[in-house]
Amino acid sequence: MKYLLFLLLFLLILGVVGVASNPSPGFAALSLVMVAGSGCSLLAGQGGYFLALILFLIYLGGMLVVFAYSVAFTGSDYVEGWGTRRISLAAAGYLLLVWGGGVILSTNLNEEFWTVGASFGEFMSLEYSLVGVAHLYMGGGWLLVAGAWALLLVLLTVLELVRGASRGAVRVV
Amino acid sequence: MSPYMLIILIFTLGLGTLITLSSSHWLIAWMGLELNTFAILPLMAQQHSPRAMEATIKYFIIQTTAATMLLFASVSNAWLSGQWEIQQMSHPTPLALITIALALKLGLAPMHAWFPEVLQGLNFSTGLILSTWQKLAPFSLLLQIPPTSSFLLITLGFISVLMGGWGGLNQTQLRKILGYSSIAHLGWMILIMQYAPPLTLLALTVYIVLTSSMFLTFLYNQATNINSLAISWTKTPMLTALTPLVLLSLGGLPPLTGFLPKWAILQELTKQGLTPVAALTALSALLSLYFYLRLSYATALTTPPNNLPATLPWRIIFKQPTTFLAVLITMSLSLLPLSPSVMAFFTF
Repeated sequence: MKYLLFLLLFLLILGVVGVASNPSPGFAALSLVMVAGSGCSLLAGQGGYFLALILFLIYLGGMLVVFAYSVAFTGSDYVEGWGTRRISLAAAGYLLLVWGGGVILSTNLNEEFWTVGASFGEFMSLEYSLVGVAHLYMGGGWLLVAGAWALLLVLLTVLELVRGASRGAVRVV
Repeated sequence: MSPYMLIILIFTLGLGTLITLSSSHWLIAWMGLELNTFAILPLMAQQHSPRAMEATIKYFIIQTTAATMLLFASVSNAWLSGQWEIQQMSHPTPLALITIALALKLGLAPMHAWFPEVLQGLNFSTGLILSTWQKLAPFSLLLQIPPTSSFLLITLGFISVLMGGWGGLNQTQLRKILGYSSIAHLGWMILIMQYAPPLTLLALTVYIVLTSSMFLTFLYNQATNINSLAISWTKTPMLTALTPLVLLSLGGLPPLTGFLPKWAILQELTKQGLTPVAALTALSALLSLYFYLRLSYATALTTPPNNLPATLPWRIIFKQPTTFLAVLITMSLSLLPLSPSVMAFFTF
């Protein structure tokens, strides 16, 4: 178990360094997948399985995919990654920064426990996020409708803004 | 724009403000502000020109930054105090951050640079919504939060009056002038907020009436800069006679309505022992008065050289209805004698 935890934390830090040091958005998105994967596994191991699931679905499976498609339009011929000396030096610098920060912050450790769930009402020992979403759908009422209206509005706004053929702002289309 | 889209956007503008005005939970207030931001974006981009798109993007970035700061401060407050009530914020750091976030949303100095530029890229009707309706929701939040650092509010207020007056001096474009006038008036409102909130509401309402009159006047005359304003006397002599009076009301001169909020605010500031602040703010309002006077001069006090056919548009009957403009101008010129009842209307 210790080895699994170590591997996940290692991948997390490596991924964060990758996101920070890669100028190409494609490589940065790939690093982001690594970060999200290891971070969500850590979260799920601590009991926050719902949040990890939602993150995978919506963040990686929705937002990151759309970002990757948009980025694919901006493909360039000479993509720099960790292979070039400049970027690998930057990545090493970031790793050093994280290590230094860890050294400084680790001298002041008090044992703090954090909870991801509790028992209350008819929900026994479930994660807070899960219970929160359940409450929104149960007793949300008109607020749920307003939230759904907000999502619909954002969709309509984006559609109206990028509508082409002289009815929108993207005139080249 | 398709009428279905238009009705959805205008409905959401109303819904967002209503949600923020009636909320007691920070997340709900934030949701209302975000609804307002997103609903006005397509309205701003209606003109499809690069200038309008630039204004839309600038507005979006500024408002999202402010909303994110607001969310961060309310989450910090929830962490520190355990609850999400707007009126029960107890920790000073989130309070200060929320004040600054709302000031950025409103366009108060020193976070005011975006406002004239965004207004310049819009047509007059969208600019009117931006200057009046979009101010209601952030003000409702500012009025509800517990008292914060008085130095912060006084600084925001005084610097807004100063920058609003000073920045508007070098402008010839009318929308930018109206933007700087908005910044100055918002400064007056913030200045008195911690001492007498009803006066903030009074100043806000009088400002909305006055600036709506100006926006609608410029819309009627299709005047976007001082030169166009100077030749607009040929279109409506009646409106041309009234426009300088509305401008002087904006400048805060008695016996017009615009004097009422300034009078009440200066009186309250003096009662609170802040006479130097009151004096300096009144002197800074002179800067705004100068460019209102310049506009009055261009509108009605001079006649630029023109040829004969150009002096005859008033003979053509304009189809544009001016009922609302007439009501607004009447209110902006003649409400001062009703001061006691106007002020009683706002005292709660």
